[in-house]
Amino acid sequence: MTQTKIPVDLLLASLAEDAEKAQVRVQKASDVLLERLETDIGVTPYDVVYEEDRVKLKHYKPVSEPRLNHPLLVVYALINRETMLDLQPDRSVVQTFLNNGLDVYMIDWGYPTRKDKFLTIDDHVNGYMDNITEFIRERTNSEKINLMGICMGGTFSVIYAALHPEKIKNLITTVTPTNFDTDQGLLHIWMKHVDADKLVESLGNMPGDIMNLGFLLLNPARLMIDKYVGFLENMDNKAFVENFVRMEKWIFDSPDVPGETFRQFVKDFYQKNLLIRNELEIGGKRVDLQKITMPVLNFYGKFDHLVPPAACEMLTRKVGSKDTRDICLETGHIGIYVSGKCQREFAPRIVQWLKERDFDEDMRSRVA
Amino acid sequence: MTGDGNEANNPLMFLQAWLKMSSEMWGASLKVVSDAGEASVGEDHAKKGSGGKMMDSWMSGLKALHALSAAMSEPGAVEGLLKGANTLPEIVVKMVQPAMEGFLHLQKEWMEKAGRIGKSTAAYNFDNLDQEAFRAWSEIYEKEFRRFLNIPQLGLTRFYQERIGEAADKFNVFQAAMAEFVSLLYLPVEKSSKVVQDQLAEMAEKGKLPEKSKDYYRIWIKTLEGHYMTLFKSPEYAEDLRRTLDALSDYAAARQKTLEDALRLLPIPTQKDMDEFYKEIYILKKRIREIEKKIRNAGTQRE
Repeated sequence: MTQTKIPVDLLLASLAEDAEKAQVRVQKASDVLLERLETDIGVTPYDVVYEEDRVKLKHYKPVSEPRLNHPLLVVYALINRETMLDLQPDRSVVQTFLNNGLDVYMIDWGYPTRKDKFLTIDDHVNGYMDNITEFIRERTNSEKINLMGICMGGTFSVIYAALHPEKIKNLITTVTPTNFDTDQGLLHIWMKHVDADKLVESLGNMPGDIMNLGFLLLNPARLMIDKYVGFLENMDNKAFVENFVRMEKWIFDSPDVPGETFRQFVKDFYQKNLLIRNELEIGGKRVDLQKITMPVLNFYGKFDHLVPPAACEMLTRKVGSKDTRDICLETGHIGIYVSGKCQREFAPRIVQWLKERDFDEDMRSRVA
Repeated sequence: MTGDGNEANNPLMFLQAWLKMSSEMWGASLKVVSDAGEASVGEDHAKKGSGGKMMDSWMSGLKALHALSAAMSEPGAVEGLLKGANTLPEIVVKMVQPAMEGFLHLQKEWMEKAGRIGKSTAAYNFDNLDQEAFRAWSEIYEKEFRRFLNIPQLGLTRFYQERIGEAADKFNVFQAAMAEFVSLLYLPVEKSSKVVQDQLAEMAEKGKLPEKSKDYYRIWIKTLEGHYMTLFKSPEYAEDLRRTLDALSDYAAARQKTLEDALRLLPIPTQKDMDEFYKEIYILKKRIREIEKKIRNAGTQRE
């Protein structure tokens, strides 16, 4: 009979040590949690310069003289909120843009209510987005604007750029799904089985809480257990707690998605994959990706489980532009915007890429 | 039968005697009431108003009772009555037996299926899950109970009753689907515990057990994550997710219908009313914007 070598003494010593540390941590944590914490998100100053229904346009106050000729419009997804790009002062994509002299506008889609359930993708793209683009062009006296889309907002931006190429100077897509025929991401697998008609008929809008639950279920071990174990281990660290609470505030701030838009996104995109095949129709017009002739910069995350690389990387091969670039960062869906490492790799590279392509059309023709 | 002392104990004889007495009593009463009625008619014919009608009604009732008692006191009728009383327990047994058999069958099936709940499956494998084990309640509900909620309703309120029945039915289906879905989400936890136990036993044998408690947690969370990924990619999970969402949609729709029935009684608009109103506003706004754009474009072209 073999004698098992279980280090019982070491284990017990380790447990005793852990218990002692935990006791000290809890005492410190109570001080941290009871004192005033800085957990506000989206604190970079801005003005609301345009409003239409529930939709607002934020214009961030410049911190230096504009160094680019064309303003930048950022289009966030209808899922969660645009505050993710300005989560905390030292990790803010918006702040990096401003520090580099970009003139930044960002759409705040607001919180859809029951009255918004009939709004389609056409209403968002050819309605709100186009009205906002017109407003910025007029306000800044620019023929074209730079357009940057995030996730579903990126998909909207691709559609907009294909339908209104004359208004877009450069297109930046970040973690943007355009090819939905992949089994790499769980969402792509699950959405094929969802009866969107039934959900919209019974629920009206798609509740943000149900979608959030779905996102948590993408990795419950990490997102529902390990994350909070990590919090318990660091709850005596004020900076950690503040950042953690900021992220929690952002994650669970989930507006509902207008019913008709949800129905169309599930059926035409996830289930029929019409966009990448140039078969999608929006507002009675076919979305032809070949009409995207402006420069395209396409960012995505190697470990993104929501929008996997296979859903993003096909775009640059399908557009009409010859100036395209794919950048795959070693991070996930959210890490691309908030991780410390990506703060150096993401926003500064966008600024550089835009600067290289900021020449004026008139100037170019004069030089030629 | 003889005329000995046993006669008093014979129920037939006893019943016949009682019915005879009853018939004679109702006959005598009828005669008394009839005589009194005739006398009163002679005294004051004009007074025969409501009192007279009451008398007629009494007379008619007493005649009926007399006739019934007389008929029942006939020997043949008494025998028939007694025979009927003797067969009553038999009728009750015949009525109860099928219901009891059904219940026992149900209980047997239920126990068989419930006994399979929690049956362990292989690690990192979610193929061909024994879903039947988790669907025990659903099947029994659909087979045995659902029918009661779908019994055709009658009368003025039939549509309201039907909608309440439908809401109750959809709620039960949703509850069952949700329970099944939650049980499916628990499976990786069960499997991970088993895998981690085996892994630790193996490490113990080799004398390579981790010394820090955190390392045990890391092994478990990594195993759990792996199991969840395997589960979420399985067709069984996708199918279960679809079924749960469908059940949620069906229940939400059925609940909405019953709520709308209730709201109609109150001076507030229903969801349906509001949706119709919102749609009209949506279409009107869209038309106005199109017209605005056309006017703007026309103005630009003129300039």
